[in-house]
Amino acid sequence: MIKISNLEKIYRTEDVETVALNKLSFEVKDGEFVAVMGPSGCGKSTLLNILGLLDDPDSGSFLFNGIEVAGFNERKRADLRKRNIGFVFQSFNLIDELTVFENVELPLIYTGVKAAERKKIVEDVLDKMVIMHRRNHYPQQLSGGQQQRVAVARAVVNNPKLILADEPTGNLDSSNGNEVMQLLTDLNEQGTTIVMVTHSEHDARYSHRIIRMLDGQTVMQDLMV
Amino acid sequence: MFINYIKIAFRNLLKNKGFSVINITGLAIGMASAILILLWINHETSYDQFHEKKDRIYEAWHRAEFSGELQCWNTTPKVLAGAMQKDLPEVETTARVNWRNMKLFTVGDKSLMSGGNIVDSTFFRVFSFQPLKGNLETALMNNDGIVLTRSLALSLFGTEDVLGKIVKIDQEENAIVTAVVEDPPKNTRFNFEYLLPWSNMRKMQGDESNWQNNSIRTYVLLRPNTNLAGVQEKMKTFRVKYVPDEPKWQMFIYPISKWRLYSNFENGKESGGNILYVRIFAVTAAFILLIACINFMNLSTARSEKRAREVGIRKVVGAMKSSLVAQFIGESILVAGIAGLLALLIVILSLPAFNQLTSKELMIDFADPTFWGLFIAFILITGILAGSYPAFFLSSFKPTRVLKGAFNKSNATVSPRKVLVVTQFSFAIILIMCTIVVRKQLLHAQNRNAGYDKDKLVYHMMNGDLYKNYTLVKNELLESGIASSVTKTSAPLTQAWRDTWGIQWAGKDPNDKTDFDIFSSDENLAKTAGLQLVHGRDFDLAKYPTDSMGMLINESAMKAMNLKDPIGKEIFDGDEKFHVVGVFRDFIIQSPFYPTKPMLIEGAGPNWFNTIHFKLSNSGTVADNVRKAESIFKKYNPSYPFEFKFIDAEYDAKFAGEKRVATLSWLFSFLTIFISCLGLFGLATYMTATRTKEIGVRKVLGASVTSISGMLSKDFLKLVLISVFIGCPIAWWAMNNWLDNYPYRTGIEWWLFLLTAGIAMLIALATVSYQAIRAALSNPVKSLRSE
Repeated sequence: MIKISNLEKIYRTEDVETVALNKLSFEVKDGEFVAVMGPSGCGKSTLLNILGLLDDPDSGSFLFNGIEVAGFNERKRADLRKRNIGFVFQSFNLIDELTVFENVELPLIYTGVKAAERKKIVEDVLDKMVIMHRRNHYPQQLSGGQQQRVAVARAVVNNPKLILADEPTGNLDSSNGNEVMQLLTDLNEQGTTIVMVTHSEHDARYSHRIIRMLDGQTVMQDLMV
Repeated sequence: MFINYIKIAFRNLLKNKGFSVINITGLAIGMASAILILLWINHETSYDQFHEKKDRIYEAWHRAEFSGELQCWNTTPKVLAGAMQKDLPEVETTARVNWRNMKLFTVGDKSLMSGGNIVDSTFFRVFSFQPLKGNLETALMNNDGIVLTRSLALSLFGTEDVLGKIVKIDQEENAIVTAVVEDPPKNTRFNFEYLLPWSNMRKMQGDESNWQNNSIRTYVLLRPNTNLAGVQEKMKTFRVKYVPDEPKWQMFIYPISKWRLYSNFENGKESGGNILYVRIFAVTAAFILLIACINFMNLSTARSEKRAREVGIRKVVGAMKSSLVAQFIGESILVAGIAGLLALLIVILSLPAFNQLTSKELMIDFADPTFWGLFIAFILITGILAGSYPAFFLSSFKPTRVLKGAFNKSNATVSPRKVLVVTQFSFAIILIMCTIVVRKQLLHAQNRNAGYDKDKLVYHMMNGDLYKNYTLVKNELLESGIASSVTKTSAPLTQAWRDTWGIQWAGKDPNDKTDFDIFSSDENLAKTAGLQLVHGRDFDLAKYPTDSMGMLINESAMKAMNLKDPIGKEIFDGDEKFHVVGVFRDFIIQSPFYPTKPMLIEGAGPNWFNTIHFKLSNSGTVADNVRKAESIFKKYNPSYPFEFKFIDAEYDAKFAGEKRVATLSWLFSFLTIFISCLGLFGLATYMTATRTKEIGVRKVLGASVTSISGMLSKDFLKLVLISVFIGCPIAWWAMNNWLDNYPYRTGIEWWLFLLTAGIAMLIALATVSYQAIRAALSNPVKSLRSE
C-alpha cells in the first residue's frame, strides 16, 4: 500500500532550517494497522501530512499503491486523496455550521455521488457508528466521543483504502478513547489499512506494528503480537 | 453541492449577525446609490431616443468666427428649411420650431396660460409623439387648427374627447382642436402643451424670408441610407449661396443622439456638455459600489481565521481549490442578492426625494423584464466584485497549517486590507473636499453684490390689456401705496434678452467688436431697481421728455467705450441715436459666476416693453400688497391671470445648478463616509478581538486605558492620514478644474486641506475609539484566562 524511501522534508524560515523528515524509509502493507510514535517535533505530523497527500516531500520516493506520487501537483493529489484516504484528527475537525449528517456527507459531495445515493450511504455509516439518532445535531451539541465517532464516520464514508489518524483519542477520556480505538480496529479487521500517530502506548497496542521516530528518522520498529 | 453551499452561507450569515448586518447594510446602501445614479444616467442618455426615425433626425447649426473665435449656434433663419428641401435631395423633409411661447387659452369662462410652439405641419413626420385623438399627419395642415396635449385638453375641457372644439387664443383668435397627443415625456427637449401650425407665424410676426434673422430652430429628416459626410460638405457652403457677402458663415447638421449630452461647442469644436456630469456620476456610482464591496472584502478576509479550519477540512475531504472559490463567490453573491433586494427597497423609498433633488421624474418599470435582467446582472457583478478577492484568499489556505491552528496572521506593513482601507478613505476625503469647495464657491457667488436691490422687487410680464392700460395700472399701484416705484422694461432684470456688437459711438475703433447687453426701460429704473448711479441721473420722462431717447450705461460700458465724460455723449444702436444721461454701477443680470458685461439701457422711444417691474412699498405686509396688486391687475387686465415673480427668488434660481451639485456632493460624501465607517467599525471590532490577549498582557504589565485605546486607534488613524495625502491632491486637481468653469471663483486655500483632514480623522477616530476604549476597559483576567 505505502512504500516510502529516503523521504526528506525541510522547513525553512529566514534564520532557521528545521529538518522534519531525514531520509525516512518504511513500508506499510495492505490491511496493516501501524502506529507511529515519538516525542513532539520528531516529524510524525509531517509524515502523516505527506502520507495523506496534503503535503509534498522535498525529495525521496513515495509509492502509493505502486504509483509514484511524490511530485504530484495539488489537483492530482486532491483527486487521489478523496478516493483513497480518510482522515481522523485529534480535534475532530468537524464543520460547526454543518449538521452531523452534512459533515459526513461532505466527502461524497466532492466525489460527485448523487444525492439519493449519498443519503443511503451516510445513513448506513451513521448507523454503524451508532450516531444515527444525532444526525440533525450540530457538532457543538455532541460530546467529544460522539464528535470523534462522527469524524470516523466521515473518514470511512468513502470506503477509503487507507485511514490516517492523528492522535484520535487525544481529546477524549479513556472510555470514549477505547470506543474509538475499537472502531478503528473493527475497520482494520474489515480490510482498511490504518496509520495512526499517537502518544499513547495504550492506543499503540491496538496496532500490529509500532514505528518509533526521533529527529525525522525511524529508530525502532516493534512488532505487536 | 450547491444546496450545501447555500446552507452553509446562510448559517454563516446568521451565526455572525453583527458582521452580516454591516456587510449587508453597507452593500445595500452602496447598491442603492449606484442604482439611483444608474437610473439618472439611463434617463440622461435616453433623451429623444424614442423617435422612430431617430437615426435620421438632425438639427441645423451655424458656425462662424467672431473676434477670433469660432462660435456655433442652433438658431436659423425661417427660410432655411425651404431652401434645404429645394436644394438638397438627401433631405426627406424639414420641420421648423419656434421658441416656446406662453399663450392665454380660453374655453367658456375658463382661462389659463400655457406654453407651446409654432411648428411646421411636418413636425409629426419627423418626431414621434403618441397620438390620442385625431390624425397627426394632417392635424397641423389646417391653418386654424391646434394640437393639444392631454393635460391641456383636460384642464380646458375636462376631457380628452375634444376634436373639433374651439379654443380662444390670447382673446383674439379661435382655433379648432385637430388632434390630442399624450404629454411629451420628460426625456425630450420638446416641452409643449400645445402646437400651432406655422401659418400662425405669418399672422404673428411675419414669416419673413430674411437670411439675417436667426430666430427659430430647423430640424432635418434625411432620407434613409444618406451619405452624411456629403450632406455636411454641402451644408458648409449652403448659406453662402444665399448670402454671398458673409462667406465665412458655415452650416452643419447635428445628430439627435448628441443633442442632450454633447452640444457644447468651444471654438467650433464639440466640447462635451451634460456628458461630463454623466461621467462624473458614473465614476461616483462605481466608487461608492466599490467602497461597499471593499467592506465586504475586508471583513471577509479579516475573519478568515474563523473559516480557515473549514477550508482545511474541506480540502482534506477532497475539495478542489476551484470548488472552494465557487463556494465563497456563491456566498458573496448570496449576500449581494440580499443586499440588492434591500437596496431596491431603499431606492423605492428614496426615489421621490432623489427626484426632487435632481428635478427629474425617474421611476422603475417593474413590469419590464430588461430591468430584472439588469438587476440580476448587477447583483452578480457586485457579488463577484466583492467576493473574488476573499474567495481566492480563503481558498488558498494550506490544510496542513490551518488544521494545526498554525494560522499565520499577516503582519506585513502593506497588506491588501490596509490598501483597501486607504482606497476607501482616499475617496471619502476627495468627496469631503469637493463638498467643502463646492459649498464655498456657492457662498462666494451668493455673497457677491448683485449691484441692485432685489428686496420686494416684483415683476409681471406684459400681456393682454396691460399694454394699453399700463399707465392706469402704474398710477393705481403708486396711488394706493402698494408700490413705491413702477417701471416697464424690455425684459426681467434677471435675464438678458438682447446683445449686440453693432453699437457705434464717436471715436470707436473700427475693429472694436465689444458685445453689449441691451436693455430698455421707460423711466425710474434706477429708483425701482435700486441701481447705484455714479454719474448723471435716472430716466425721468415727466421732467425730461427727451429721455425717451436717453441712455443709461454701466461702468463697464463706459470703460469699454473709453468715455471720459460720458454724460450727453451720443451712442448709436443701428439707426437709433441715444444720448447718455447717466452711468450706473455694474449689476449682475446674467450669471453670478461671470464678470458683468458692458450694458446699455435704452430709453422708451423706439422700444417695445415686455415686463413691468414694481417695488413694493414698505407700508403694509408683502402678502397684503401683493393681494392688492392682484386686484389692480385683474381690474385692468381681466382675462389674464396675475402671474407675478419676485426678483430675489428668480435671482436665487441662478444658483439652482450649483446648489444641486452641492447637495449631491454632500449626499454622496455622506454615504461614502458612512459606508467606509461601517467597514472601519467592523474591522476595528475584529482587530480588537484578535488582540484581546495582547491587551490583557499589557494591562497586567501596567498599561493605562488611554495608552491602550491610543495604541489601537493609532493604526487606523495612520491609514486615514495616508489617505489624506492621496486624496487631497486628487481633490485639489478635480476642484481646480471644476472652478475653472467659473470666471468668478473662490480659491482653494491651505486651510481647506487641514479642515478636510481634520474631519476625516475625527470621523475615523469616533468610529474606532468605541471599540478601542471598550477593549482597553475589559478585565485582563478574562482575556488571559481564555487561552
